[in-house]
Amino acid sequence: MTRSPETTQNLRARLRASWLDLALGALGASFPIFLWWIGSHTTTFVPPIGDVLREIPGFVTGEDIWPDVLVTIERVAGSLAIALVLGFAAAYVMHRGGLWGRVADRYVGLMLGIPSTLAALLALYVFKRSEIGVYFVVSIITFPFVALTLLQGLRSADRRLDEMGDVYRLSTPQRLRHLAVPHLVPYTFAAIRNEYAHAWKVVVLAELFAVNSGMGARFARAFDRFRIVDAMLWLVIFMIILLGTEYLLLLPSERRVLRWRRSGMEGLR
Amino acid sequence: MTHSDHYIRVTGLDVSYDGFTPAVTDLNMDVAEGEFVAVLGPSGCGKSTLLHAISGVVPPQSGTIEIAGRPVGSGRGDGSVPIGYVLQEHRLLPWRTVAQNIAIVLRAAGVPDDEVDLRIDRYLNMLHISKFRDTWPLRLSGGQRQRVSIARALAVEPAVVLMDEPFSTLDEVTARVMRQQLAELWEESSQTIVFVTHSIREALFLAGRIFILTQGPARVFDTIEVPVSRPRRYEDPRLTELEAQIVEHVMDEWGYGATAGEDAQR
Amino acid sequence: MTTEQVAPLRQITGGRLQRVQAFAVASLLALAVWQLATLISGGWVPSLWRIMTALGEDATTANIYAEMWITLRRIFITFAAATAIGIGLGVAMGLNRRVMAFFRPIVVMGLAVPDVVYIIVAILVLGTEESSGLIAMVLALIPFVINIVVGGVGARDPGLDEMSAVYRLRRVRYLVDVVGWQVSPALIVATRTCFAFAWKLIVLVEALSQPRGIGAQIYYSFRLLRPDHMIARALLFIVILRLVEAIIFAPVEKKFLGWMQ
Ligand SMILES: Nc1ncnc2c1ncn2[C@@H]1O[C@H](COP(=O)(O)OP(=O)(O)OP(=O)(O)O)[C@@H](O)[C@H]1O
Ligand SMILES: [Mg+2]
Repeated sequence: MTRSPETTQNLRARLRASWLDLALGALGASFPIFLWWIGSHTTTFVPPIGDVLREIPGFVTGEDIWPDVLVTIERVAGSLAIALVLGFAAAYVMHRGGLWGRVADRYVGLMLGIPSTLAALLALYVFKRSEIGVYFVVSIITFPFVALTLLQGLRSADRRLDEMGDVYRLSTPQRLRHLAVPHLVPYTFAAIRNEYAHAWKVVVLAELFAVNSGMGARFARAFDRFRIVDAMLWLVIFMIILLGTEYLLLLPSERRVLRWRRSGMEGLR
Repeated sequence: MTHSDHYIRVTGLDVSYDGFTPAVTDLNMDVAEGEFVAVLGPSGCGKSTLLHAISGVVPPQSGTIEIAGRPVGSGRGDGSVPIGYVLQEHRLLPWRTVAQNIAIVLRAAGVPDDEVDLRIDRYLNMLHISKFRDTWPLRLSGGQRQRVSIARALAVEPAVVLMDEPFSTLDEVTARVMRQQLAELWEESSQTIVFVTHSIREALFLAGRIFILTQGPARVFDTIEVPVSRPRRYEDPRLTELEAQIVEHVMDEWGYGATAGEDAQR
Repeated sequence: MTTEQVAPLRQITGGRLQRVQAFAVASLLALAVWQLATLISGGWVPSLWRIMTALGEDATTANIYAEMWITLRRIFITFAAATAIGIGLGVAMGLNRRVMAFFRPIVVMGLAVPDVVYIIVAILVLGTEESSGLIAMVLALIPFVINIVVGGVGARDPGLDEMSAVYRLRRVRYLVDVVGWQVSPALIVATRTCFAFAWKLIVLVEALSQPRGIGAQIYYSFRLLRPDHMIARALLFIVILRLVEAIIFAPVEKKFLGWMQ
């Protein structure tokens, strides 16, 4: 197994390619900032980037924002958990089929089409300005998506794997452990990852309409009083939290779980 | 020096999928124009990879591959010699019917429109699948799909045909008929065929020369001329004898003890 | 949210009778729960009867259909723009590493920005014209389309790419016959999702910035404390949307997904 010198050359070419990718990525990432920069120069109400950046340390260290940030995070996590449970239950019932399967299917279909604005306004009537309203809105809006993703997992699971289980005569617990759970893990991950971002967006909306606390409410208040720098700061914090958790928490764990899916050919394309 | 003796010329070929693990190392082989060669090697040694490289699908890490004196390009429509390749899996477009699948590659090869249908019919007939002309591939059995894939490769009437275990999914009787037809077809045409197989008997029956590869990463371990005149019979005792010799010959190289002959043979 | 197979998955199984039965059970159950909510909320949640009356009133006013038409038009414009741009960019990203490297962070950020922000920023920059709301919507929708399309393109069979390289298929043939058909389920999902989200978003846009349209009507009823009309108008429009979907999407789907049996 002699390695020819070209091998290292090839490797270097590939490293160069990945540097190029990184550079392009950085360029892409800075594109919105570029837009902002243009905006701040051509309009009066978009604050210069410098102003906002300078405000960040004070903003982040101030006592005043964290209660709202925390309460929003709590709402996102809580309603996502509810949506997962509901979605799993709905997917299971739909998968089993029969009358109740079709009934569940009807509900999921209906819920998919409900605008979050409508849900938020309704929640105001039902729950007034209470906390439950936010949880209600977010989980009602996100759970049908969870249900569909998991249903997809359940459906593809038994088509391929049940045959295998039959061939090797696995018992039910064995099937659960070796076939069903590993098969559903990627789908659960996909559901969490997608609905996590969705939940953040819905929570902001719900807070805007339905309650006076949380990041969405603060953001809207800043805009109403035309304190654009504050609004921008909230947006920046929002993005940092959302993208930070996505890239530092969700994506790496998903990669780990799904690493068997990648093929060796990727480097050549 | 004409290029007819080294119509396909592979020199110092290294291929690696991930940049570290070699799949083929320092492989050299020459195939003359119009020659029928077989490639034998243990499973996973890099036979498919070699064909991939010859067809230009996988770029060599180092070394060169030339067909008719021109380096193999991987691009579409770059004017290189047309190649037919029966890939190890059928690789048919499931959303196109059998005939459409063939028509697509014929058009890409520049076959004139009025000839497309004729060719499709001829090659489907030859492989005994003309009744599936307008069927979708997902409705065919594995062996039928494989035959469509063979028909597609031959219908292009390319100068070079690469075949990766084309008959391994067929029943033995069908496979024999196909082998016979392939041998006849080759004698009529002037095509150069590189044929990968696991069956030593098949290689002996079809090929003029056999390249035996090492365990992976593949190199050429030995080249054997088949000293039996054509037309050959599949049951020819000379082939049986040669088969036994080859098994004996490769046993150590392929990493099997002196008693595990049956495994290496399959 | 990029639920890949929304479309094929929600194929309701069973015969017509069973479907009607399921519909009846689902409706009755929902109505019962609703009535319960009315009782608990002490009249804040309108009773079924009040909603029915409002529905009757709204369905017979011509005005409401004009509002619906306005909204429908807006949905179609944004939907068409977002799917066209999203599919184009998504396919380019899925096929080309460079394009992917550049646009990926933008798409990720685009997905993360709350819809409200798009709308507010558009209002700030472009004013409360109709077009500003529509542009905001298109911007908010594109990342979703891209996300689904990229997923579809990325999940294509590498074996068929190799086949196309072997037989030197031309670029156009490759894009249509090899990539196009593999991506078609994802494209259908993408257009469907885009359509559904366009409806969900337009309500917000119209509530925040437009005087006309069904979303404005919904918000208007809300502020006048007339939840019965708010729900009635939403329901009416949902029915219309369902019809549009059944008329436009179902036949297209049938045509493109035939080969999957
Ligand atoms: N797409 C791929 N990505 C990464 N590695 C690959 C890929 N395809 C093949 N390999 C590796 O390259 C080596 C050679 O594979 P190849 O398919 O050429 O073997 P083969 O001789 O055709 O085997 P078989 O007789 O079983 O078809 C193997 O070790 C395999 O693991
Ligand atoms: Mg192989």
